[in-house]
Amino acid sequence: MKPDRDCAIAVRTVDIAQRVDPLADVSAYRLTRVFVTDGGVLVGSVEIANARQPISAIRLREAIANGLSYHLMRRALEKQLALDRVSRLPPHVPVSIVIPTCNRPDDLRRCLDALHRERPIRPREIVVVDNRPGPASPTAAVVRDFPDVRLVEEPKPGLSYARNCGFAAATGDILIAIDDDVVVSEGWLERLVAPFARREVMAVTGHVLPLELETRSQCEFEAYGGLGKGFNHFEVDGQWFRSVRGAVPTWNIGATANAAFRAAIFDDPAIGMLDEALGAGMPTGCSEDTYLFYRILKAGHTIVYDPTAFVWHRHRRDAAALRHQIHCYSKGHVAYHLTTLVRDGDRRALVRLGYSLPKIYLRRAYARLRRRSDYPLNLILTEVAGTLAGPWALWQSRRRVRRLGPGARMSRHHAVSMESPLTQTSAT
Amino acid sequence: MKLICVDLDTALPAIPPCTHGAQWVLARLHGRPVGVVYPPAAGCDPAELGRLILAQRGWSIAQHLAADCLADERTFADLSSLPRACPRAPATPALTLTVAVCTRNRAAQLSECLDAVAAIDYPPHLLDIVIVDNAPSDGSTRDVVARYPRMRYVVEPRPGLDWARNAAIRASTADIVAYTDDDVSVDRGWPKAIAAAFEAEPHAACVTGLVVPDELDSPAQVLFETCGGFGRGFERAVYRVDVERGESAARLYGGTGRFGTGANMAFRRSFLASEGLFDPALDVGTPTNGGGDLEMFFRVLKAGRVLVYEPAAMVRHRHRRSYEELRRQIANNGIGFYSYLVRTARAYPDERAAIARLGLWWLWWWHVRRIVRALVRPGPVPLDLMLAELKGSFIGLRRYAVARRHAAAVLQQFGPPSERAAAEIS
Repeated sequence: MKPDRDCAIAVRTVDIAQRVDPLADVSAYRLTRVFVTDGGVLVGSVEIANARQPISAIRLREAIANGLSYHLMRRALEKQLALDRVSRLPPHVPVSIVIPTCNRPDDLRRCLDALHRERPIRPREIVVVDNRPGPASPTAAVVRDFPDVRLVEEPKPGLSYARNCGFAAATGDILIAIDDDVVVSEGWLERLVAPFARREVMAVTGHVLPLELETRSQCEFEAYGGLGKGFNHFEVDGQWFRSVRGAVPTWNIGATANAAFRAAIFDDPAIGMLDEALGAGMPTGCSEDTYLFYRILKAGHTIVYDPTAFVWHRHRRDAAALRHQIHCYSKGHVAYHLTTLVRDGDRRALVRLGYSLPKIYLRRAYARLRRRSDYPLNLILTEVAGTLAGPWALWQSRRRVRRLGPGARMSRHHAVSMESPLTQTSAT
Repeated sequence: MKLICVDLDTALPAIPPCTHGAQWVLARLHGRPVGVVYPPAAGCDPAELGRLILAQRGWSIAQHLAADCLADERTFADLSSLPRACPRAPATPALTLTVAVCTRNRAAQLSECLDAVAAIDYPPHLLDIVIVDNAPSDGSTRDVVARYPRMRYVVEPRPGLDWARNAAIRASTADIVAYTDDDVSVDRGWPKAIAAAFEAEPHAACVTGLVVPDELDSPAQVLFETCGGFGRGFERAVYRVDVERGESAARLYGGTGRFGTGANMAFRRSFLASEGLFDPALDVGTPTNGGGDLEMFFRVLKAGRVLVYEPAAMVRHRHRRSYEELRRQIANNGIGFYSYLVRTARAYPDERAAIARLGLWWLWWWHVRRIVRALVRPGPVPLDLMLAELKGSFIGLRRYAVARRHAAAVLQQFGPPSERAAAEIS
C-alpha cells in the first residue's frame, strides 16, 4: 500500500525538556501531529495544519503552548510539588514480557529491537509465543538473534491461547502483554510497572500512539479512536465497577497491546486466564482483554491507566485490513457483552446492546450525513454488520474452544495473597 | 472613553467611571496583547481589575506563559521560575522596513498619527517612513509632514488609495512595506512585531495585525465594534493554501476580511514586485470605496504564499464618530467586498465557481440571516445599518466595471506613474 500524500499526517515527537527546534522535514504533509514529551514523559499532542510548509520554531511553540497549556501547567505543578516522583516498584521484582506473534517476522524484530534498546534495572524475561509454529514459521529465526528471548509454541490458533500459553510459561511476578507490532518508548517498562508498588493495583495499561499515519486507513483508524485512551492518568476499581450505570465501559481502560498484570490474578479462581473464546484468531475477533479487565474489577481490584508508559503501534496500512479489524472489534464487543450477561449475569449488558449501541451508530451516521464528521459511512456499516454477527461469532468460538480444549493454565501457586481493600461482591 | 492599555508586568491602574461611550481595557503581558476586558461602568480599583483580567483572560495568560517557557534557549522548567521579562520579545530586527502612511486631505488629524509613527521603536538605519499625500487639494499635509524630520513626503496626484499604496511601493527600497492609515495610532512595538513575524516565517508574503479601537466615545464608535470591528482576535495564526495540489483559495479563505484590514498590513516588497501592485480600481477614492486590501490578501494566498496574523503587531484605529459616517463606512464595506469578489472572479477564471458560491453564501449567512433575525428580535445593531450594507453589496456588483473605466481615465489624465514623479521628495 503506497503512502497517500493527501491524507497522510506527519507524526513527530518534540521533547520540551530540550530546545524546541523548527520541524523542517514535514513539507510533504498537509498536517503534522506532534507528540509532546517532557524529559520522556508524555504530555499530550497537538495537530498543526502546516499545508506542506516547514513549521517554524515560533509556530511550533505557540501551537504547543496554546494546545496543551492545561497539560503543561499541570506538568509544571507536578514537578514543582514533586508529584512525578512516584514510588517505584522494588527492583528485585521480576517481570516477564509476553509477545504473541504469528508470521510477522519484521514487526517482531522491530519490537524486540526496541525492547533491547534499554538496559532493565530488574530481572526481565521476554517470552515470544509462536501461534503458528512449524517448519515454515519465520519466528524462530528472529528469536534466535536475541539470545535472552525465550520462544514457546502454542499450536492452538487464537490470540488468547497464545497469550495464556506465554503467561503460563513466564516466571515473573508481573506479566506484561504487548503486541508484536508495537515499539516501546524509552523508560516504558519502569513507568508501566511503577503503579504495582501499590498493593491493590492488579493491572496497569498504557497509551498506544500511532507510529505513522501514512495511509488513509491508518488515519481512519486513529479517527475511529485508535488504541490509546488519552493523555490523562486515571484509575478504576471495584467501587467504580459497581457504581456504573449501564454496561461497564472496560473497553475504555486500555488494551493488551500495552498492559501489565500481577501474575497472581491468573491463579485466582475469581479472575482466571484470558477467555479463549474471545480474542483475535477466533470468530469473535477481540475483547479478551476487556473481559479480563471486567473480571479484575468485579473481583474488587484496581486498574491504573498511565499514559506516560506509552508504546508506538503501526496501524494496518491497507483498507481491507482496517475494515476487517473494525468488523472484528464490533463482533468482539457484542461477544464481550453477551459473555458478561451469560457468565456473570450482568444485565447491564442488555442496556448497551439494546439501546446504547444502536444509538451510537445512528448518531454517527447522522453526523456523517450532516458532514459533521469525517468517519466514513462504509466503516459505520462495517460496524453494524459486525454487531449483528456478534452472537453467532460467539457461539462459533465457544464450539471451537470445546473442540480444541482448554489452553494453558498457571501451574505455580503464588505465595502472594490476593488481599485487596475491597471484598468481592457481585455486580448485579 | 479612550481605550486603556494595562501592562500586566507593572502595577495595575484604577479604572475611572465610564462617563460616555464604552470603557474597554486592553491587557498586555510582556508587550503582547492577551485580551480585552470590560470593567464595570462605575469603574474599579486595581485589585478588582486584576481579578477581572484573571477571570476573563486567565486562559490566554496561561497560554502566553506556557509559550514563554518554551521560548528560545529555554526549556520547559517549573512554574516557580516563570520568566519575569518576556523571553519571546522580538530580537533586534535585521530586515529593512518602510512604514507607509497614505493620507488625503486630513491634515488636522494627521499629526496625531505621525506622532505615534515618529515614536516607534525600530533601528533607525533600517527604518524608512513615507507619507503619501493622495491628490491633495492644498499644501496643508506637506506642512504637517515637514514638522517631522525623518519622514519622506511623496505626492501621488492620481486620486485613489491604491494609487497611493503603489506610490509607497515605488518609493521604498526596503524588504518590507508596512501600511497604516491616517486615522491610526501605531503601537511603539508595531514594526518590530511585524519584522519578527516575517523573520519567523520565511515564506510569509504578508503579515496582518490587531486593530483595536482608539476611543469608544460616541455610540457610533461602540456600534462599529458591535458590527464586527477590525480586531481579529488575540491568537497568532498562519494561513496558506496549497495551490499546487489544487486547493481553491476562494473556497477555503475567500472571505479575506478575516485576516485583517488595510490599516494594519505589511508585505514583502519582493512579493509586491513580482505579483503586481494594488489594483487602482479598488479602495477608497474610487467608485468601489474598498476591497484593495482584501484583494491583495487573496493574491497572497492564491500565489501559495503564507499569510500570518500577528496580534502583537497592534495599532489603534479611531472609528468614525458620527452615525452618518459609520453608516457610510458600513455601506462601503458591502460595496468593497463585492467589488473585490467581482475583481477576483475576473482575474482568476478557475476560482469563479467558488467565488460565486461565496458571494451567495455571504448574502445568505451575513445579510439575509441577520436581517431576518433582527426583524424577529431586534439586537444591538440597527436594521438600518444592515440594510445599508446589503444595498452596498448589490451596488458593489456593478461598481468594479465603473471603477476600471475611472482608473483608465485617471491614467489618461495623469499618465503612468513614473519612478521619479512618485519618489519626488519634498
